[in-house]
Amino acid sequence: MNENLFTSFATPTMMGLPIVILIIMFPSILFPSSNRLINNRLISIQQWLVQLTSKQMMAIHNNKGQTWTLMLMSLILFIGSTNLLGLLPHSFTPTTQLSMNLGMAIPLWAGTVFMGFRHKTKAALAHFLPQGTPIFLIPMLVIIETISLFIQPMALAVRLTANITAGHLLIHLIGGATLALMDISPSTALITFIILILLTILEFAVAMIQAYVFTLLVSLYLHDNT
Amino acid sequence: MLQSLIKNVWVPMKPYYTQVYQEIWAGMGLMGFIVYKIRSADKRSKALKGKIFASDGWGRKTPSYLFRTRRIPVLN
Repeated sequence: MNENLFTSFATPTMMGLPIVILIIMFPSILFPSSNRLINNRLISIQQWLVQLTSKQMMAIHNNKGQTWTLMLMSLILFIGSTNLLGLLPHSFTPTTQLSMNLGMAIPLWAGTVFMGFRHKTKAALAHFLPQGTPIFLIPMLVIIETISLFIQPMALAVRLTANITAGHLLIHLIGGATLALMDISPSTALITFIILILLTILEFAVAMIQAYVFTLLVSLYLHDNT
Repeated sequence: MLQSLIKNVWVPMKPYYTQVYQEIWAGMGLMGFIVYKIRSADKRSKALKGKIFASDGWGRKTPSYLFRTRRIPVLN
């Protein structure tokens, strides 16, 4: 049974060829682009949602920070759509792989840090020491702030991986439990099935929230450094 | 195909790729360096493990195996 639980997270291959790149590129098909002024309903809804999100997310940034709008909107759309597509039965979710999430987190976090050190060196260095620190605490606090800086990309990646993986595992387990209980006690199976429905609703919310949290944190790191 | 790729992707995205994302390219270089380090360390540790548990083609044990294990002489 343990073997079955974790095999759903193995990178998919078709006849020996890895098709994970095709799976990662698939969500882009669901967001068609158009050159028309007035579009069809699907594109209009998507454009309205993207405008709403970008206005809300990029309002805090100055001109330099707002050059990252395209990157951050692509990020939230990609992670959100990938997580939601992963809730379909038997589908593969790229964001369950730590390698993928580290590949997203490290360049973006490093980009914000390099930007801060390049354009506002003094302010970027000043982040290592909060204002109003007692003198005898300064060495320890600089060490703690440095560690917290380097943990940021790890936390970004592991948070997304763990949330999505744990949700999928729970759905597997409770679904398996419901199936096993159907022969033993139908009333308990019904309760477990209701729990499964509630969990699936939670996973829909978690999929979108995790995308938002990832992008918001990158946006905050950007705001600190621009 | 290359021309359409240049016209549809490179021309609109040129200011982003050349100016805005400079630090992100540097971050990608850092990530590539980390991946290289992890992969080479993994290869090195696997090679070392293989060497420790290997024997030569004639059925004799490697020097490290002889060093790690005790030789108990048997008198007949």
